[in-house]
Amino acid sequence: MRRGTELERLYDGHAQPLYAFLLNLTRHEADTRDLLQELFVKIARDPELLAGVRDERAFLIRLAHNAAIDWMRRRGTRDKTREQFTAERISPFAPDANPDEQTFRAALAGALAELPVEQRAVVHLKLWAGMTFEQIAEALDVPPNTAASRYRYGLDKLREHLRPIYEEIK
Amino acid sequence: MNDDFEQKLQRQPLRPIPAGWRAEILREGRRVAVPETGNTNTVSPSKLNWRTILTNIFWPYPRAWAGLAAVWILILTVDFSVRDPAPARTEKSAPSSPEVMVELRQQQRLLAELMGSSQTREAEPRKFLPRPQTARAEILTA
Repeated sequence: MRRGTELERLYDGHAQPLYAFLLNLTRHEADTRDLLQELFVKIARDPELLAGVRDERAFLIRLAHNAAIDWMRRRGTRDKTREQFTAERISPFAPDANPDEQTFRAALAGALAELPVEQRAVVHLKLWAGMTFEQIAEALDVPPNTAASRYRYGLDKLREHLRPIYEEIK
Repeated sequence: MNDDFEQKLQRQPLRPIPAGWRAEILREGRRVAVPETGNTNTVSPSKLNWRTILTNIFWPYPRAWAGLAAVWILILTVDFSVRDPAPARTEKSAPSSPEVMVELRQQQRLLAELMGSSQTREAEPRKFLPRPQTARAEILTA
């Protein structure tokens, strides 16, 4: 019973940011669900995984990141029809009634998809998970300087991609 | 330190997680959850560890493991079907009647005699035949 409530606590505390992170990496809702379930099942099966973990969020992000990278490798070798996969992509952002905002979000989602996955992961965690470079470094198992430089490169590319539309709606 | 562009990006709301997933994921989590220790019905920790290890090995690729098992079963089946008739044939061809045994013993005895006589002939040392001294002297002077 206690483990059931512990799993519920983990889900309620971390599922939303994990979902957003996984969705930004996979852009595929059904696969995101599978990866998220896989992650929670892994913890349910072996609760000792979290024993001694200092930063729960960073640890769960690391599990999610590793699962997403594995998924990409599997997908890369399995999927012959990349066009079909592209058509199934969904945006990690909530839809908006304002057409200008909706256009910007669609462009942002597209620009993010163009980033290398490691840059995209850092940009996502910094901007939308509110993590520091130290936390990101711990989660992705890279030095903090690497996390910071990946963020800078990624942000510069987004700026370059989105400059026209950003200037227009600013 | 964030510029306007970064702030604009940060303000973009993320898609919310579908509400129905919570119940499904937690149900699946509870289903596979390891029972807590201390309960009399629980499995011993060593068995638990083995189960966890085996589950971790087999769970991610159940089809691959099932395929591998099927291939092994096929190999073993083919192997047994090829190997089985051989011992049966040897059992059938083994001499069982007393006549055959008697015949066989006679042949063995004959063979032993032949072998023995040839061996004794070969093994016999050359007999020393002493010659008279005069004959020896003739040989030396010749």
